[in-house]
Amino acid sequence: MKRRKINSLSTKIVFLIALVSLFITFIVFSVFEKINREAFHQIEIEKADIIAKTIEPLIALNIYLDMQENVNQIVLQLIENPNILSVKIQTPDKVVNETISKRYKENVDGSFVVENIIFRPNSKQEIGTLSLVYSNKRYKELISKHTNLTLILLSGLGIIFIFFSLYIKKLLSPLRAISKLLKEYSPEQNIEIPFASQNNEIGLISSTLNDMQQKISEYAKRQKDINHYLEEKVTEKTSQLRHQLYSNSLTNLPNRLSLLKDIAFFNDTALLIINIDDFKEINDFFGHFVGDTILIKFSSRLMVMLEQDKNIVVHHLFGDEFALLFTQKPPLQDFIKIAQKLISDIEKIIFFHENNEIGIRVTIGGAYQVDGGLEKADIALKSAKKHQKSFLLYDEKLHIEEQYKENMEWVKKLKKAIDQDKIVPFFQPIFDNSTDKIVSYECLIRLIDSNNNIISPSLFLNIAKKSRLYSILTKIMIEKSCSYFEHLDYDFSVNLSVEDILDKDIVDYIKSKIKIHNVENKIIFEILESEGIENYEEVSIFIQEMKELGCRIAIDDFGSGYSNFEHLLKLNIDYIKIDGTLIKNLDKDKNAQIIVEIIVDFAKRLNILTVAEFVHSREIFEKVKELHVDRTQGFFLAEPQQNIDFEVK
Amino acid sequence: MKKAVILLFILVSFSYGYTYNKLLLKAQASIFPKIIMLDKKLEGKLVEGKIIYTIVYEKNDYETALEIEKFIDEKYNGRFNDYAYKINLVEFADLSQETQASAIYSLNSENYIKKVAEIAEQKGVVTFSYDIDNLKNGLLFSLMLEKSTVLYFNKKNLHPYNINFVDSLYQIVKFVESKNDIQKNLYNKTLWFKNQNTAIAGL
Repeated sequence: MKRRKINSLSTKIVFLIALVSLFITFIVFSVFEKINREAFHQIEIEKADIIAKTIEPLIALNIYLDMQENVNQIVLQLIENPNILSVKIQTPDKVVNETISKRYKENVDGSFVVENIIFRPNSKQEIGTLSLVYSNKRYKELISKHTNLTLILLSGLGIIFIFFSLYIKKLLSPLRAISKLLKEYSPEQNIEIPFASQNNEIGLISSTLNDMQQKISEYAKRQKDINHYLEEKVTEKTSQLRHQLYSNSLTNLPNRLSLLKDIAFFNDTALLIINIDDFKEINDFFGHFVGDTILIKFSSRLMVMLEQDKNIVVHHLFGDEFALLFTQKPPLQDFIKIAQKLISDIEKIIFFHENNEIGIRVTIGGAYQVDGGLEKADIALKSAKKHQKSFLLYDEKLHIEEQYKENMEWVKKLKKAIDQDKIVPFFQPIFDNSTDKIVSYECLIRLIDSNNNIISPSLFLNIAKKSRLYSILTKIMIEKSCSYFEHLDYDFSVNLSVEDILDKDIVDYIKSKIKIHNVENKIIFEILESEGIENYEEVSIFIQEMKELGCRIAIDDFGSGYSNFEHLLKLNIDYIKIDGTLIKNLDKDKNAQIIVEIIVDFAKRLNILTVAEFVHSREIFEKVKELHVDRTQGFFLAEPQQNIDFEVK
Repeated sequence: MKKAVILLFILVSFSYGYTYNKLLLKAQASIFPKIIMLDKKLEGKLVEGKIIYTIVYEKNDYETALEIEKFIDEKYNGRFNDYAYKINLVEFADLSQETQASAIYSLNSENYIKKVAEIAEQKGVVTFSYDIDNLKNGLLFSLMLEKSTVLYFNKKNLHPYNINFVDSLYQIVKFVESKNDIQKNLYNKTLWFKNQNTAIAGL
């Protein structure tokens, strides 16, 4: 472990005090140095000035009295002063005396000159000047003395600080010792800190640390007990959570996550997924409590059925779906037999609720491969459901994966077509059977692929519904159809699914578009009856709103579903488009003729116009007319085109 | 023979008046007027705005007095610094209280020196003496040419109420207070004259 570098507190304190003191000393020294230098210099100047002023009257008098000798003597006396380097006495017309000291050369540096005017005695008249060159020697000596004293002071201070720092270090040394001792401290083992007897701060700290150790020790003991208790609880809770994570809360069987884990764990497995058929009905009819009870009982029975085979682990995936994982793959024939036997055995189970006997059937999908076992079993289950088989083993030949891939390709194509504006309406005319004239057009959706092939909706419409692109297609058809017929004098119809009608966003879009393009009186909404109109109330509201705007309503594929005439009466529709399955063999199929006749009769009584679709031959066209169907639409008369310049056959 | 001639010359000189040293006379004529200007109370001694420099002499010394006057005029040409001056030649016998004087310069006299001192004291004017010996009789200044020019001053004779010299003057004068001082100075004077006469004789 890297040793932590300790910054000594005592060193810091002393260093800081020394630094501050030096700084203050330096400032004081600098200020005093400056003041003293100036003062010393000023003193020397004043001294020179006093000398000059003192001697000036005497010199003045001697000059005045022409006593040159006296002047010379005075100058000689002056020059004896060690600080005076030269004297010059000058009158306006001559130099009276100029004497230079022997010390002149050595002391002239830094010297200064004092000049004094010589006045005639008892008068203000100037009679000459007195110039003294005054040495700075004394000034330098004073400065030197001052500097030496300061250096001595600083040296003294330095020595004091060294002793001071050593003393502080000694004072604080117990702190280091305490720190060293505390490094070895652990709550299990108390350390006796030695300085507790000292009657100072160190003693106080030591005493407090000893007390603290005691408290920490007690606290650690308590904490250890708590930790032990918490660890036990955490282990218990973790176990519970793990169980919850990997088991179904209702049946307590291993869940889907557990299955995935097991599949990843075992190398060679086989899998069966069991789905209880129409379990929703049990829930709806008997309630969820009964449903849950049946699931619990079913899981128990399943366990009993499979208890002989230790290689099978039962999982409850969710709701009505269970899975059997074979930890050791049995022979394929045995695997299929087990599945079939299960179906048979389960069908024999009877659950009792109050006085009701409840029987269940199951569909099983099986996968005999390791890779993607769960997905493959799931695909097999869905395929079995679709083909109404009780058991289906995943087989590559089912091409289910290919179908999925193809569907995904279609989704891509659809998205691309939407992005590139390749979703277009085609228009197929509807003829009035009494006049043989076109009275309206049905707008049919088409996709134009990258090769400019026109793709029929049967290939992509279901995929669009599954991939949530359907509403986009509806909007495109509404916009393009309304726009196309805005300035044409024809009625036109657009197909709407019940899904569209229930989508408020689509309904708002339709309302805005028919208003923008002003086609309220031209547009006819064809609602597919074949899908089974269950939400009559919502559909009725939509029809009412549309009719209030002036739009008309047609029921498409009428007769294909479970047509409810009573409901249809309430919907206040304008057209019935008879289902193509009734029309395509109408010329030969007597039953179809009867049904069409009933529909036409029913419609006429309600003032609803009837339209025959898929009229593909003259015979059928003749029959349609014979049965008094009001309008005809079909390839026999005209195929859907991208524009309405039709050539009628 | 040469000594006899000199002695004769001296005796003749004494019979016709005092002997004066021209060099000393010139020095005194040059310096004494300047000392008058060092009196701070000079204004009170002016006569009609002029300095009256009175030279008193014995009848026999009239020529000497004239010579002094001539020296002064040559040097000062009618003005002592800021003031015009007038030289008043007066015989000792004529000197009285009425004699106009801003300062009195006294040549030698056997009998009148004290009189000069008394009148000067009464008039409150400065007195100068050719001979230092006269200072003991009440005159104020005299001047000797020694190694250098020496101004003698008898401070006992100073009357501060009327005369007030600049301070520095007192620094350059030699004070004579006792007879010893005067005798000492006289000795110096004699020595100096002796040297002078020797020098003259040498010529």
